[in-house]
Amino acid sequence: MTRPRPLRPLLSLAAVALLLLAGGPATGQNAATPKSGGVLVTSPLAATPSLSPHEESTIATVQQASPCFNNLVYFDPAKKVESVDTLIPELAEKWSWQDGYRNLVFFLRRDVKWHDGKLFTSADVKYTFDAVRGAPDARAKLRVNPRKLWYENIEAIEAPDAATVVFRLKHPQPSLLPMLASGYSPVYPAHVPLAELKNRCVGTGPFKLKENKPGELVEYVRNPDYFVKGRPYLDGIKFVVIRDRSTQIAALQSGQLDVAGSGWNKTNAENARSGHPKLTIVEADSNVNDNVLVNFKRAPFTDVRIRRAINLALDRKAYLVGPRQGAATFGGALLPRPAGVWGLPAAEVAKLPGMGDAAKQKAEAKKLLAEAGFGPANPLKITVSTRALAIYVDTASWMVDQLQQIGVEATLEQIESGVWHPKMTRLEYQVALNLTGVGIDDPDAQLFENYRCGSQRNFSAYCSEEIDRLMIQQSQTLDPKKRLALVQDIDRRLQADGARPVLGWAKQYSVYWPHVKGWAVHENSIYNVSRRQDVWLDK
Amino acid sequence: MRTYVVKRVLIAGVTLLGMSLLLFVLMRLAPGNITDIIFESAGYVDEGDRRKLEAELGIDRPVVVQYGRWLADFLRGELGKSYRYDLPAWEVIRPRLPVTVELAVLAMGFAVVLGVPFGVISAVRRGRPLDYALRVVSLAGLSMPSFWLAMVIILTLVRALGWIPSMTYVSPFDDLGANLAQFLLPALAVGYRSSALIMRITRSTMLEVLREDYIRTAWAKGQRGTQVVWRHALKNASLPVVTLIGIEFAFLIGGLIVTETVFNLPGVARYLVDAIQYRDYPIVQNLAMLIAIVVVFANLTVDLLYTWLDPRIKYGGA
Repeated sequence: MTRPRPLRPLLSLAAVALLLLAGGPATGQNAATPKSGGVLVTSPLAATPSLSPHEESTIATVQQASPCFNNLVYFDPAKKVESVDTLIPELAEKWSWQDGYRNLVFFLRRDVKWHDGKLFTSADVKYTFDAVRGAPDARAKLRVNPRKLWYENIEAIEAPDAATVVFRLKHPQPSLLPMLASGYSPVYPAHVPLAELKNRCVGTGPFKLKENKPGELVEYVRNPDYFVKGRPYLDGIKFVVIRDRSTQIAALQSGQLDVAGSGWNKTNAENARSGHPKLTIVEADSNVNDNVLVNFKRAPFTDVRIRRAINLALDRKAYLVGPRQGAATFGGALLPRPAGVWGLPAAEVAKLPGMGDAAKQKAEAKKLLAEAGFGPANPLKITVSTRALAIYVDTASWMVDQLQQIGVEATLEQIESGVWHPKMTRLEYQVALNLTGVGIDDPDAQLFENYRCGSQRNFSAYCSEEIDRLMIQQSQTLDPKKRLALVQDIDRRLQADGARPVLGWAKQYSVYWPHVKGWAVHENSIYNVSRRQDVWLDK
Repeated sequence: MRTYVVKRVLIAGVTLLGMSLLLFVLMRLAPGNITDIIFESAGYVDEGDRRKLEAELGIDRPVVVQYGRWLADFLRGELGKSYRYDLPAWEVIRPRLPVTVELAVLAMGFAVVLGVPFGVISAVRRGRPLDYALRVVSLAGLSMPSFWLAMVIILTLVRALGWIPSMTYVSPFDDLGANLAQFLLPALAVGYRSSALIMRITRSTMLEVLREDYIRTAWAKGQRGTQVVWRHALKNASLPVVTLIGIEFAFLIGGLIVTETVFNLPGVARYLVDAIQYRDYPIVQNLAMLIAIVVVFANLTVDLLYTWLDPRIKYGGA
């Protein structure tokens, strides 16, 4: 009888595996002069639903589409805090406010070509923003148009010649310029149907689309005809979608990724660096906040005492050390300084509900509940809804615990991610924990979108005619100091009303190998820094 | 035999029809539809625009009409368009099929190549150290879920060697070596559990067969050990093993979903989960039907294999 050799197959496999193993990652050395060449490999937050930023509201799209496009103006990647003072020209060589901020005139570059060789002109700008603002005579209509609100003050867009565009406004609106600089505001080619741009990017940007495998990979190559001479430095960028966070970390550690995907928290960043001390971690503020939605249309949350009790019960210091693991900044409706431009001063933030002594605030919350008719004999029963994603659930679970400490019988409801915003829009919740990222750190974008009566993204249905009036007033105020004072006044009133209380503004973490140079991070927006034409590899 | 095959094919057809109905209904029972998902990524919902989109995609029509239309299109080979990516469904599915097929075949290959010989050896060496060692290997395979094993493999590789398989798909036609480096470990992660099951079944059936009179006669006649074990005993012990392989192939898809995610392989199994989340009806329905066809076909093949393995089996009256 022949004796079998049971281990032979396993040994063969091990031998094959060993033969196929490759070396570790190469590391670079610091050098001051940028080098051209190389392909940067990174993993985005998630697969992008399309390559059309005007039709999406996810950072995943901005990250993966921005290298292909240009805006009229853009925020300087090198300046960490975005503001009107950090705007740089892109497709517009220069611009000018005229007629008391009623007309915004752009003088365009004449040497720009689309990736398919056609010449860029003012007609492309008019085409794009007529579509986005939903102009009655627009040549194209976006199937989904999330930022129509941004451009509702535009009365007309005129293109008197191929290199001039005039935005005529109903009222003065200084915020229009930063809105046009957002990663969500690229200029589209008028000669390519909008539907095609969902999967095929034709831009003017530093990189041309090489391959788009929806859900898996977006790959770009250098645009040799890019109008900024000497840019981009890279030969290409490859966005590899890696869904599993542990695999992302392993891919970075093994050197398959040059830069880690966004959306990492502090723990992810530190895990990645354990055993790989050469990895660079950059911690920065961001304009993404954890906020509490209290349904203003549903009793008993129509009672300001209940809203205030909920707000007081949520101890912000416990939030910081708990779900956010020390990685957040406190603030009101707008990102506070120094990362933000418009937020409340630190001294005022320290006095906001939830920021004081936890025991005293919880006692006050219980008192308010008692005044509203709720106590041990008749506890307030609420469901705290949240999106079924770990980053939401962690904070919502903490919220439930905090509310239980004031005698509220709170339970957690996880809502499938795909129907989260529709349910919030239809007000199908009592109290919810939400995350909100704003395209730009700007009062018009933040306030009109999230707090104005009837706005589609005003998920708590908060509505105050007085606040709306003040919002319009600040939007038209030209003096920056007076405008800042107005914005902060609005913020104070929103906090007093318990309108969508903000728990904190999350920190962002970028992790990359030292050979990656010029990887810019902005402190007050994650959305407007993804062009990547200045990134280079020191290999 | 012909009657049996015809009957089995008819039953397969009915099974697939029931499957199509089940799939269709389950997708509609999930909360929200694709228009919710499209607006979800836009971060808001405009009810007017949403209704227009529903009409554009045809999902505002009665469910029965939608079902009938999909089934008719499927039978004609028209898979429709991916709602999410606005691309022909086949264009989205096609590049992912070879990935999953290769992984499934390799995983099944591992399962059979490891499971059957180990089972035979374990039975032949019953009660000896090698038998105990192989049973430990088998028990470990049954105890470790493939997703856990996949993650352990990745983490061990990166810790020990600073290397993991490529995160972007390498076609075997472009670079066979790199392709195998990418697929062997995930296939092992998926196939290990199946190999453990196959080994246990092979062992137990082999133990029964080895006690049969005709085996004892073969030994008594002085036949060579390899001939007795591999030719006479194994062939007669194969029926339950082949059945199990068929069943395991059907269950393989569950293991592939997570393994494709962990090893970042762009296959249909992982994509199916994405499509379900996005309520991308044309993708989910058509892909699940394609998988159902493969499973039904695999079972049919297993049934037909019985006659070759055991000529005593007659299908006439089946």
